[in-house]
Amino acid sequence: MSKLTRFITQNVRVANLLGSRQLLSRSYANAPAVSEEELPTATNSDEPVDMPNPFEKDPQQCILCKHDISPHYKNVKLLSQFQSPYTGRIYGRHITGLCKQKQEDVEKAIMRAQRCLLMPGYHKDLDFLHDPKLFDPERPVRPHKY
Amino acid sequence: MPSYELALVLRQLPRPELIGVIRRTAEAIFDKGGIIRKFENLGTRALPHKVSEHGVVHREATHFTIAFDTAPTKIADLKEEFGRDIDIIRRHIFKVEDPVEHKCTLHEEMLPPAYRKDVQEIIEIAKRKQKPKYNYNSGLDYYPFQK
Repeated sequence: MSKLTRFITQNVRVANLLGSRQLLSRSYANAPAVSEEELPTATNSDEPVDMPNPFEKDPQQCILCKHDISPHYKNVKLLSQFQSPYTGRIYGRHITGLCKQKQEDVEKAIMRAQRCLLMPGYHKDLDFLHDPKLFDPERPVRPHKY
Repeated sequence: MPSYELALVLRQLPRPELIGVIRRTAEAIFDKGGIIRKFENLGTRALPHKVSEHGVVHREATHFTIAFDTAPTKIADLKEEFGRDIDIIRRHIFKVEDPVEHKCTLHEEMLPPAYRKDVQEIIEIAKRKQKPKYNYNSGLDYYPFQK
């Protein structure tokens, strides 16, 4: 019986100790993003804590990368969205807002489709004229290069 | 043998003759030791502009693609053979490429110029091209070079 009580008291003491340690560590933590492992390195509680910028925004992604679309020359409906309805010219990167690689892929696919007579070169296909707009050519993402 | 895709634009023909043209092209691929993976009919529709080929003006056509494997040395022969066929308006052979893993670089591209890697490289090159210039307040009371 006495053994059992001793065992219980020991365990309680250990539990208490653990609780007090937790309390101590909480007093250090002024940012929730910092894990508990980093904390004991700071000897003084007033020292600045080394942590990544919590206000940093997520990196921007272009519309094709976001939806994981790779342009293909047979996908004429998608490609015609990157073409001017007035002149049939391919919009530049400053208007489409694509990343370099995807813009190059789109341009290559459009050229290919035009050579295979799948797509017009001097106007936009009338079937796709009223498709939803991916961007506004009047308001480019960047100023153009001229 | 690498994979290729043959994009055909065929003259407007009745169905049995259209089948004949496709059979002809398929047999040409087999004769050159190729294998066919897939046939794909993209339908008959008006061409984006009128096309004059083999002395005839075409305004409507059937689009058809054949995915096949063959030796790269046979591609030129195949193109030449299809070019002689008067029922074929356009033939293009594209290599089928595996999809490449790509990470979007738009974020880096939208940074101000001074932070962009390609701009930094250009600045570095411009710095390298500048000749070392004599510093007039270097302590010497005469100009050490020939004027």
